Amino acid sequence: MKVTIRKILNRENEQVIIECTEITPEVKDIRAYALSKGTTLTGIVKESKLERFELQDVYYFEALDEKVFAYTKDKVYEIKGRLYEIEEAYTAYHFVRCSKSVVINLMLLGSISPALNGRFFAHMKNGEKLIISRQYAPVIKSIVMGDGKDEK
Amino acid sequence: MLVFFIVTACVTILSGILGMVFMPDVRFGYEAFLSPPIFGFLSALSGVATKSRKELSVGQMLFREFLQLLLIEVMVFGVNYVFGTTFEWELSVTLAIGIAIIFVVVYAVLWLNDQRSAMAFNAKLVEFQKNQEV
Repeated sequence: MKVTIRKILNRENEQVIIECTEITPEVKDIRAYALSKGTTLTGIVKESKLERFELQDVYYFEALDEKVFAYTKDKVYEIKGRLYEIEEAYTAYHFVRCSKSVVINLMLLGSISPALNGRFFAHMKNGEKLIISRQYAPVIKSIVMGDGKDEK
Repeated sequence: MLVFFIVTACVTILSGILGMVFMPDVRFGYEAFLSPPIFGFLSALSGVATKSRKELSVGQMLFREFLQLLLIEVMVFGVNYVFGTTFEWELSVTLAIGIAIIFVVVYAVLWLNDQRSAMAFNAKLVEFQKNQEV
């Protein structure tokens, strides 16, 4: 396969174009890889300072008092937008709703364990523990285990 | 649904044991068969005590479940009282403890089921994450 890299001026216009005769699993892999890399967000950290950070570094998004926060390993960023918009925009990047106020990154999920009453704990790879509510647990299971493979 | 079946099975066993110990001479008609599923259904309904619009913390959920247990105890004794059945204190205490044991058994079974489900999920999660990475 021929690979061409062309430099452009604007970071916002960066894109990967795949030209192929057929969408094979390999093409899908390349697409998934491209989607998972290089997505940069801008958020406010302490003292109203704007900073850029990578989507892949976000463990989870949380809505608190009409604001949305992105949690990375060391920092918390306040970002623009509503939680449902984030959920919709980043579904392809393996972000999924786990409760009414939290959207987690499945790629940074370490494991789950049962909590009370059909809920689960999501143990993130940074050591944080979040609640997966009863309502969203089947969705997360179907994404990871595939439809119809949920044993519950 | 799972709660209903576990409670129905446990109530049947508890009724049998308590009956043999405290009221060995008492005999019932066929209507007695309806008692376990009725209590199973009412117990499943009592799950509303744990429902909330907000996401409850583990502590809040434990408190709600304690309330649910109280609700079930009141319901069992209340239904018996309404139908004119009163118990001596030994039987009342034993019944109350029995209900609490059933409650714990139900949650233990549900927890074990979730644990099995979580283990299967965790195994698939590693595979899922590997597949998404190139």
